[in-house]
Amino acid sequence: MIGSLQSIDLPMRRFREYEEVDYAIVGVGSAGGVLLQRLARAGFNVVGLEAGPFWDTERDWVSDEAGSHELYWTEPRVTGGSDPLALGANNCGKGVGGGSVHWAAFTPRLHPSDFEVYTRDGVGADWPITYEDIKPYYEQLELEMPVAGPAYYPWGHPHGYAYGPHPMGGVGDALIKGCTALNIPVSIGGPVAILSGSHGDRPHCIYRGFCIQGCKVGAKASTLVTHVPDALKKGAEIRDLCMVSRVELGQNGRVTGVHYYDIDGHTHFQRAKAVILSGYAIETPRLLLNSACPGFEHGLANSSGTVGRYLMAQAGNVVMGRFDQPVRMYKAPPAHALTEEFYETNPENDFARGFAIQTVGPLPVAFGKQMIAAKKAWGWGLRREMMDYNHWAAFGLLGEILPWKDNRVTLSEDKDRFGLPVAHVSFHLHENDKRLIKAAKEKTEAVMHAAGATEVVQEARYAHLVGACRMGADPRTSVVDKFGRTHDIANLFVCDGSVFPTQGSANPGLTIQALAARTADYLITQGDKIFTSNERDMASAPIRRELAPPETWGKGVPRLK
Amino acid sequence: MKYGYPAVDPALCPRDAYTSEPLAARKQPGYYAGFSTLSQSPFWDDATRTVVEKRVEHPPERQFFSEDAWNFWTAVFAHLIPQTDRTPERQIPIVAVLDQRLGQNQTVGYRYESMPQDRVVYEIGIEAIDREAEHRYGGKFLLLPHLQQDLVLKAIHDGKPAAAPEIWKKMSVHRFWQMIMGDAVDAYYAHPWAWDEIGFGGPSYPRAYTRLERGEPEPWEVEEERYDWLAPATAVSDEIDSTPSHHTEAGQHSHQGSGDTH
Repeated sequence: MIGSLQSIDLPMRRFREYEEVDYAIVGVGSAGGVLLQRLARAGFNVVGLEAGPFWDTERDWVSDEAGSHELYWTEPRVTGGSDPLALGANNCGKGVGGGSVHWAAFTPRLHPSDFEVYTRDGVGADWPITYEDIKPYYEQLELEMPVAGPAYYPWGHPHGYAYGPHPMGGVGDALIKGCTALNIPVSIGGPVAILSGSHGDRPHCIYRGFCIQGCKVGAKASTLVTHVPDALKKGAEIRDLCMVSRVELGQNGRVTGVHYYDIDGHTHFQRAKAVILSGYAIETPRLLLNSACPGFEHGLANSSGTVGRYLMAQAGNVVMGRFDQPVRMYKAPPAHALTEEFYETNPENDFARGFAIQTVGPLPVAFGKQMIAAKKAWGWGLRREMMDYNHWAAFGLLGEILPWKDNRVTLSEDKDRFGLPVAHVSFHLHENDKRLIKAAKEKTEAVMHAAGATEVVQEARYAHLVGACRMGADPRTSVVDKFGRTHDIANLFVCDGSVFPTQGSANPGLTIQALAARTADYLITQGDKIFTSNERDMASAPIRRELAPPETWGKGVPRLK
Repeated sequence: MKYGYPAVDPALCPRDAYTSEPLAARKQPGYYAGFSTLSQSPFWDDATRTVVEKRVEHPPERQFFSEDAWNFWTAVFAHLIPQTDRTPERQIPIVAVLDQRLGQNQTVGYRYESMPQDRVVYEIGIEAIDREAEHRYGGKFLLLPHLQQDLVLKAIHDGKPAAAPEIWKKMSVHRFWQMIMGDAVDAYYAHPWAWDEIGFGGPSYPRAYTRLERGEPEPWEVEEERYDWLAPATAVSDEIDSTPSHHTEAGQHSHQGSGDTH
């Protein structure tokens, strides 16, 4: 079972290892799931290698924080720098569906300004694509997930959502009240990739609050429920519990396949005409670094020295407010209202770029840890604060941290259970980041006060990960081109959050999936040329809506002209 | 069930806010008398019911810690999350959950570069706490009276241990505190008796929550009934530090201004 109603009944196609498949995709998460579906539907032979399990959600997932450990990437890693990032459950998924299994599913788009941050503000980087390039894919993926939200969304490029907004929970009510009191526009009931009504073989949300523990209901979009079933139906294979250890480079300067370990620790080699890495912002650069070989001594596809660099997380400070009346924030999805009013660069600020303010709904274990950080609570003080759990509401700010060369993934001396060097993540906030976070924290606290909270405290933390294999027009300063093809190797691609040159203050999930669909259209249009030629055609391909899963397009929303 | 908690001394019990008399231990402390998440388990899915009921009925047996280490951490966690307001049979196992985690070498998926491996943390942590106890009060932690034990741990909570500098060089005091408190919360607030205490509704798949706004209870939840209480006179952990917390994570976990940035 995947979700409470869906099941995959067909036997899955199995390729033999000595068979040279068209595409081997490393990681079946947000990007890998979409790629697999599109490429299979277009008739390619494609295998997805996933380090985690293929879930039976009814059996494997629980409505329980402590019982959801397996959803996260908990293999060893080392984190450091002056501002070390928490990893694991905070931002790293494992298993088919990847991070889309445990995301809260907020799905705002990037703004047009995000694609030209350097041109506008002289900081960060420009993307090699514009908003117009990705816009049709935003519109398309919003229908495929689909995304629930208001019919009019005012920020960035204004747009609307074809599926109705969600009802409010106590935290959303507080955000609306606080924003309205301060004259700040607020988006109510989305955008969030959770079904507000039943859709195909997926039921509507039941507001149980365990979104980030995996949606047993099947109402929250993950590629496990939105794209994997169609991919398998169309002949893709997903080989789960397979940890890819190295990408093999052949004598002609093209990759020939991937080495991997199965669950028993046996080694295998899958031959492939082309390889796509979709392992996210830490495992993708780690795999390239671990694939160093003659000609690429500092990591495969790393002639620029950029693999692992320009890693980004977003500031994710959680501001908590205590209200005299109960809130019971465990009901409703954590993600159900937000404002992007402070998203853009404002010349009156002492920093570039901006932030969003969103609802969050920590469950008891998460909330307890927030009280430890925010109030330094322990012992009887912690017991007392926790007895007031139902009186608290929590907002998360989402602040743009700029890409910096020294924020990077390297290889540690620590080894994993296969003997492979694990990732070392080093992270430092720079002056612009610190100013932005301080201002964002103060604004979010002001909104919480305006909502009527009698006490306001905050926990500093980070959310999401992107960058570390960024795309760019210049091969000297980026790893991949605008389609995700590595500058160095014509049949090796990266398609996941690691290709982001900047990140805005939008949750990255929608953009990751939109980029995956765009890369897929490019690969499909190029056809066999990818497998036989080192030539690079830089013309964009037309969007191919007919390759979406059935019944997920052609739906509408009142449009602004 | 026996988890090493001592028989309750009234001086260790929370007190009535008006009379300062020790409050009798309750089966269920907190403001939601009569609320029971477990009573709703027939409405949960099988996988969730199995996991939660096992947590209540079969807490893990000791597999990693030596008996001495087990007793030591049991005493420490009795300060980090005290339970003297709970009747003995309703106290929530914490060290057993931690012991199982270390036994299985299960981690959160990363370690700070300023920290050793988790198993090492819980090994050298004993010596660090004992050294602090000896430095301050001339005796090992387990031999100190309750209030002095609380003060030893408060020194670490405050990021200001006075003893064992060579251990704290190998292990960030702030990340150490974050880890042991994290383990305490992971065990205590994962337990349905703690959910009852704080009025958390718990699992609700496939039944759903229906009253989303204004903090309204479901028909099977109960309204809050508050009572005032004071912490025991022998504890200092009820004092909340009200200095505004720093806006960066590293700043927050180093108590910015007090030195160490890790």
